[in-house]
Amino acid sequence: MGMQGDFLQLLKEQGYTLGVSTAVGSGQTLTNATTILAFKYRDGVLVAGDRRATAGNIVMYDRTDKVLEIDRHSVMAIAGVPATAYEMVRVLEHSFKYYRRTQLQELSFDGKLRAVSKLLKDNVPAAMAGTGAVVPVFAGYDLEQGSAKIYFYDILGAEFEGVEYAVSGSGSPTIRGILHYVNTWGEQPLNALSQEQAIVQALRLLTSAAEFDSATGGVNREASLYPVIKLIAAAGVQTVPDATLKPLYESQVVRNV
Amino acid sequence: MYEEPYRWVEAVGNRRQYLDDQFKQGSPVVGLAYDGGILLTTVSKGTPKLYEIYDRLALGGMGHPTDLEKLRFSLLEMAHVEGFNRSPSDVTGSRLVKYGIAPVIKQAFEEVYKAPFIVRILVAELGLKPEKDALLTINYDGTFEESTGCAALAATPAVQARMMSYLKEQTSTTLSLEQAVDLTLRTWAIGSLAHQQDEIDQQEEAKPAASGAGSSAAAIPSRDTLIAHVRGLAGERTIECAVLDRQAPGTSKYRPLKSADLSHLLPKALQSVVAN
Repeated sequence: MGMQGDFLQLLKEQGYTLGVSTAVGSGQTLTNATTILAFKYRDGVLVAGDRRATAGNIVMYDRTDKVLEIDRHSVMAIAGVPATAYEMVRVLEHSFKYYRRTQLQELSFDGKLRAVSKLLKDNVPAAMAGTGAVVPVFAGYDLEQGSAKIYFYDILGAEFEGVEYAVSGSGSPTIRGILHYVNTWGEQPLNALSQEQAIVQALRLLTSAAEFDSATGGVNREASLYPVIKLIAAAGVQTVPDATLKPLYESQVVRNV
Repeated sequence: MYEEPYRWVEAVGNRRQYLDDQFKQGSPVVGLAYDGGILLTTVSKGTPKLYEIYDRLALGGMGHPTDLEKLRFSLLEMAHVEGFNRSPSDVTGSRLVKYGIAPVIKQAFEEVYKAPFIVRILVAELGLKPEKDALLTINYDGTFEESTGCAALAATPAVQARMMSYLKEQTSTTLSLEQAVDLTLRTWAIGSLAHQQDEIDQQEEAKPAASGAGSSAAAIPSRDTLIAHVRGLAGERTIECAVLDRQAPGTSKYRPLKSADLSHLLPKALQSVVAN
């Protein structure tokens, strides 16, 4: 099987299984809830996520990175149980590299999407038991077609294309409406936004999500905590540094009343 | 017939002779550290001979393509499973070579009823710091050597030594990538010319064929002769260069140099070769 460049299969042959399909014990509160979003802008696709991890009404951590770079041209933003989500990202990262290095060609964008679906499908027992539900957004730049793409999934592994945008996580209902409104009746559609406008838009959206969802972190200026924002264009993935986010947030997101 | 120890030793000896013959037509491989990482160079015919193994590991090989593929897959499997189960920083060239493929190659070599691997392998490893850079070579019998700075694969130990001494003599300071490409190609030419000379010596049978003494005793050809040799072969062969680039973005540091890169990195006399 190794000859086919299938890393997950190689792991399975060694006895590996993804996720733990044990029912959640009573009184156990798992870490989950978040807000992640992705939308297409002029040069490619922007993917953003807040940094809070919660378990019930406890804030577990405020510096989580939920927007993870899988390779130079694809990013997975995760919502759901982080243990499983991080594991999936690790499997994908190694799978794509293993495929490229064994087969001496890049895995196609469709092949990458399929790999995400397969992992989610393998994870269904854990998702149903409640210990491993993951609802990711996968975004990337398809070099063969020369276009940015966004896909979102349900916990069973069904794949949907987000033609203009996609959201996931507990804070997502709030911003889904905003995205629809802005994209349809705003001054310009999302895909016409410049890089800077797109970043400002993402900061505003996450701030709105944090306003209505206690499990979403938003921006914490006192602690210099900004969301993770990544831009994917033909040249590859680029993380927007805090030094860029800070002035944009202060000048275009905060309302000085 | 191999039960008696003497017969076994004889069989292994025969096997050495057989294997040595297999590499005569092979293309040498050169590994050299430069200011931004490690460069691997060869001039290949048909199948590529330089490969990516892991984030900071590259492979160069001589020998039978199928055997090389088998070992390449073993290395890839070991590296990725280890990198996944532990962490990418636990995947080191020396562990993969010493505990991974060298014992496999040795066993195949000594099991005289089975076919040996017809390969010589060079594993280059980019350390987190330049002083941790390493180059490992493995022979068809499983013996390995670890070196820093430079390494070479060739048909015979004599040719290999000739290439190594040229590399060492020419690298006084840290080289730029351009200088490294130039030097590795010249070193490759030394190896390739020595292979040709060995062949001629053997055909004439004027000298004992064993060590290729004729070629290693001869003076080192001039720079122009070496470049001209590469140029002469460029029609039927492909110049193959790959780097482990310390500055490369992301975790994977391996990058094959494409013809666009080579067209300005190659020595002037060779630039036209890549253009077409």
